[in-house]
Amino acid sequence: MICSKKQKITMNIIIYVSLITISIFCLLPFLWMLITALKPDIEIRTATPSFFINNITFDNFKKVLFDTGFLGFMKNSLVVSLIVTIISLAISILAGYALSRYKNLKGIKVTNMGMLISQMIPGVLLLVPLYIIMQKAELLNTYYSLILAYTTFVIPLSTFMLKGFFDTIPFSLEEAAEMDGCGKLKTIFSIILPLSIPSLISTGLFAFLNAWNEFMFGYIFISDDSFRTVTPAIMLFQGAHTTDWGGLMATSVLAVLPVTIIFLFLQKYFIAGLTDGGVKG
Amino acid sequence: MIKKKFIVLMSVAIAACLTFSACSTGKNSSKSKENDTSKVTLDYWVCWSPGSDTEKNSKAMFAKYESEHPNVKIKYSLITYDMAHDKLVTAASAKNTPDMSWALPEWIGEFNNMGMLSDLTDYYNKSELKSAIYPNVMDTMTVKDKVIGLPYQLTIRALLVHKSLTDAAGINNIPATFEDMLKLGDIYKKTEKYPFGFCATSVRTPQELIGYLASNGLEIATEMKDGKYKNTWKDDPAQLAKAAEVFQYYKDLTKKGIVSPNTKAWGWEDEDTNFATGQYMMEVTGNWMSERETTNPKEMSDVAITAPPYKEIPATYMETNPTFIYTSTEHPKEAFDFAAFISGKEYQQAVFPVTSPRTDVVSDVKWSKDFMNIAKTGISFPPVTLGGITTAMTDSLGKTLQNNEEPSTVAAWLSDEINESLKQSGEYSEK
Amino acid sequence: MLLKGKTNKNNSIKHMKLTRTQREKVTALLLVLPALVFLIGLIAYPLIQVLFDGFQFKNLVNVNVSGFAGLDNFKEVILNEHFFKALKNTIIWTVFSVLGEYILGMFTAILLNQKVKGIGIFRVLVIIPWLVPIIVAGMTWSWMLNPDYGIVNFLMIKTGIIETAIYWLGEQNTALFTIVIVNIWRSFPFFTISILAALQAIPFDISEAASIDGAGIISRFFKITLPQLKSVSIALITIHVIWTAINFDFIWIMTQGGPYYSTETLPLMIYRYAMKEYNIGAASALASMIMMVMTVIFVFYYAQKSKMESND
Repeated sequence: MICSKKQKITMNIIIYVSLITISIFCLLPFLWMLITALKPDIEIRTATPSFFINNITFDNFKKVLFDTGFLGFMKNSLVVSLIVTIISLAISILAGYALSRYKNLKGIKVTNMGMLISQMIPGVLLLVPLYIIMQKAELLNTYYSLILAYTTFVIPLSTFMLKGFFDTIPFSLEEAAEMDGCGKLKTIFSIILPLSIPSLISTGLFAFLNAWNEFMFGYIFISDDSFRTVTPAIMLFQGAHTTDWGGLMATSVLAVLPVTIIFLFLQKYFIAGLTDGGVKG
Repeated sequence: MIKKKFIVLMSVAIAACLTFSACSTGKNSSKSKENDTSKVTLDYWVCWSPGSDTEKNSKAMFAKYESEHPNVKIKYSLITYDMAHDKLVTAASAKNTPDMSWALPEWIGEFNNMGMLSDLTDYYNKSELKSAIYPNVMDTMTVKDKVIGLPYQLTIRALLVHKSLTDAAGINNIPATFEDMLKLGDIYKKTEKYPFGFCATSVRTPQELIGYLASNGLEIATEMKDGKYKNTWKDDPAQLAKAAEVFQYYKDLTKKGIVSPNTKAWGWEDEDTNFATGQYMMEVTGNWMSERETTNPKEMSDVAITAPPYKEIPATYMETNPTFIYTSTEHPKEAFDFAAFISGKEYQQAVFPVTSPRTDVVSDVKWSKDFMNIAKTGISFPPVTLGGITTAMTDSLGKTLQNNEEPSTVAAWLSDEINESLKQSGEYSEK
Repeated sequence: MLLKGKTNKNNSIKHMKLTRTQREKVTALLLVLPALVFLIGLIAYPLIQVLFDGFQFKNLVNVNVSGFAGLDNFKEVILNEHFFKALKNTIIWTVFSVLGEYILGMFTAILLNQKVKGIGIFRVLVIIPWLVPIIVAGMTWSWMLNPDYGIVNFLMIKTGIIETAIYWLGEQNTALFTIVIVNIWRSFPFFTISILAALQAIPFDISEAASIDGAGIISRFFKITLPQLKSVSIALITIHVIWTAINFDFIWIMTQGGPYYSTETLPLMIYRYAMKEYNIGAASALASMIMMVMTVIFVFYYAQKSKMESND
C-alpha cells in the first residue's frame, strides 16, 4: 500500500486494536473455562464472579484425570477421530479426483449433486433410523458405529475440498504419466498426492475436528463407558440435582487441548491448503 | 518419492492397527457374555455424578456383592438421567435395553406402557423388602397390583429456610400457606433480598407444580372406572377454579415482588444455586442440598427445614427412584437378587443413608430426620406416560409468567393438553 | 459384465477391449464407489425411510398407532401452535447468524491478511471458537451469561454498559438475539479462514494498480477485493445458510428452545416431536418440509453458479 508513514502507524494501531478486541472476544469463554477449572468449589458458586482466584487448586483436574474414566474417553475419541480421518481422506481422495477429472460424465454430475444434497439434512432427523440400522448390525456400543456415522458425514465436504484443490493441478502432468503406462491409482499416488500435501492436511484436520467435537451421535450410540468419547462424557458432570462445574470445566479444557495443539502446529498448512483452491465450491 | 510412499504406507499401517485393536476390543466385550456361560454379567445403567461419594460407595458395594456371588459380574455404565431416558426409549424400540438401571419416577407409566418392565410382584412378595420399605413408596411403583420397580432412593421436598435472613427481615413465623407467603410483598424493599424462589423451566417445574396442585386438592389425571385416566378439571367448574388459583399464586408471587423477576426462566440449577449462595431466603427443594454445605459453608450454615406452603391441605412431592429390570434381560433371577441387595439395609446404609426408602435406615441428621417427618403428605405422578404432560405443565407456567395469560385460560389449556397427551398414549378414559 | 482392459494381449482384443470413454466411466465409478456406499447406505436409505414415515401414523411408544396418514401429519405440524414462531425464529436465526458471521469473518480476514508482526499468533487465537466442541461452548456461555453469577453481566455493569444484570437467555426478547451472537462467535472463524485463503490468492498488483490510480481504501475494497471474493462468498454463505438452519444441538444445549419457545427453531421441533412426543410421523413430515425448502434454495444457488460460470 502506498501511503505516508503517519498513515501507516495509524493503520497499524487500528489493526492491532481490532485484532486484540476480536481475540478477547474469541478467547473469553476459553479463559473463563480455564479459570473456573482452577477454582475450588466455594469460589465457583459465588454471587460475585471474579477473574481472580483466591486459592488456585488443581483438584478439579486431578479428579477428572484420575477419578473418572477421562483418559479412557480421550483414548476413544482419539482412536475414532484418527480412523475417521484416515478412512475419509482415502475415500475423499478417490472421489474428489473423480469429481475433478470426470466432471462431464452424467454419473459424476449426479454424485456431485447427491453430495451437495446430503449436506442439507438435519442430523437430528437421522437419529432414530441410524440407531436402528446400527442395532440390527450389532454395531451399537462399538467404535464402528461412530466411525461409520462420522465418516459418512464428513465425506461430502472433504471431497469438495480436495476436488477444489485437484482442479488446480494441470492435467498435463497426468497425461505424461499415463503415456508412460501408469495406472490411474498409481498416477494419483505418485503425482497428485505429493502436490496436495497442504490440502490433505487441511482436509484431514477438518475431518478430525468434526469427529472429535461430535456430540449427538456419540451420545446416542454409546452407552458403555469403555467406548464413550470425550464430548458426550462432559454431560456426565451434570448430575440429577447438582452440576459439578469445576469438573465440567476441567474436562472441557482437557477436551479442547489436543485439538488446539495439533492446530497450532499445522495452522500454516491449514491456511495454505485452503488457499490453493479450497473453497470455491 | 520413496519418503512419500513410506508415509502413505505408515498411515495405512497405523489405520489398520487401530482398526484391528478397535475390532478386537469391540468383539471381545460383546462376546464375553456368550463365552462365559458360568458367569452372569448384569448390564446396569447408573446416573451418579463422576467422582461423587455415591460413586465411591456404590463401587465398593458392587465389589462386595461380586465377592459374595462369584458367578455374577456387575457391569455398570455411567449416564445422565436425561440421556438414560432417551436411550432407554430408543433402545426399547430396537429391543436393546440393559438388564437393569436407575430411573426417575416420571418414567414409570411410560415404560410400563411400552412393556419394557419386568413384573417383580412374585419376587417382591417373597422378599424381606415387603416389611422394610415405606408402603406409600411401593405404591408409586405398583401399577394395577403389578410391582414394576424396587426403590433405591427416596427424596421428599421441603421448605428450606435461611433462618438468619428471615430473622433479619422480621419474618417471625415461617409461612405455612399460600396466604402467608403472599403477605411478604414488602420484604424485598426492606432487605434487598427476595423471600422466595421457584423454578419455571427444567424437570423440576412439573414436580413443584404438582405439589402445589395437590395442596389445593387437585390431581392432574384421575383414574376412572375403566382403569384409564382423565383430567377432570373441565368437567367440574370448582376444580377448574382451584387450578386457576394455583396459577394465580405463581403470578402473584412474581407481581408482588416476593420472587425475583428472573424466576420465570429459572431451572433447578438456578433455583438451588441462588438459594445456596444466599441470594434469597426460602426454597422448596430436596435433601440433596446437604451437599451445598460443603460448597457454600457460610451461606448454608443457617438452614432450617419445614413443610412446603400449601393452599388447602399440606402436600409435598415425593420422589421415589425405582430400579427397573427390563423384560429383555436374560437373567431375571440374578437381576432381582441384585436389585434386592441394592434396596437392602447394608447397601442403603452405605450409599443412601440420608435418602433411603427403608424404614430402618434413617439418620439423625436434619437432612434425613426433618425431611422424613413430612413424608406422610407425599404425593407423586400418576402412572401414565408423562412426556407430553410434563411438557404441558412447564409450558403452562411459561404461558402464565412469560406470556402473561389469564390463569383460568391456562388452567383450561393445561387440562386439554393433559387429556390430549393421554389420548396419544392410549390411556385416556372415555367415561 | 464390464471388464477392465487388462487382458492378455494375444487374445481377441476386439471382444475384450473397451473404448476409452467406457474405460473412463468404469474408472470414475470405481473411484466414487466407496463414497457412494457410505452415502447411500447411511444417508439415502434412512432419508427415504423418513420421507415415507411423513405419510404414516407412527409412534415410538404406542404400537397401536399405525396406518396411512395422507397429509394429516403435515396439517398437524402447520397447525401446531408454535409452528409459525419456530419458522420465524429459524429465519431470524439463520439470516442474522450468517450475516454476522460474514461481516465479522470478512473484517477479521482483512485484518489477518495484513503484514504486521505477530500475525501468526492472532491467526491461531481467532480459530479457537471453532475448535471448542459445541457442548462446551454452549454450557460455558450459558454459565457466563447468567444474571446472578455470570461474568458477562458482571463486566457489563462494572464498565457501565448496563445498570442491572439482564437475564439474556431468560427473557423472551433477548434470548434469540443472544444465541445468535454466541453462534456468530462459534462460526465466524470458518468464514475468516476461507476468506483469508481467498484474499491471499488475489494478485497484489491489481490493488496496487488501483491505488496508483488514486482509489481510496474503502472504494478499493468494494470495487476490487469484493468482486474477487464473489464465488467464495456465495459458496460460503449458501452452505452456512443451510448448516445454520438445520442446526439442532447448539440451540438445544443453550436454551432447549426456551424461554417459552422464543428460541425454538424447526429442527428443535423435529426433536421434540420425535423424542418427547414420540410422534415419528409428524417429525418426519416436518423434516420432509424442511428438506424441500433446502432443495429449493440449493437449486437456486446452483442456477446462479452455472450462470456465473457461463459468464466468466
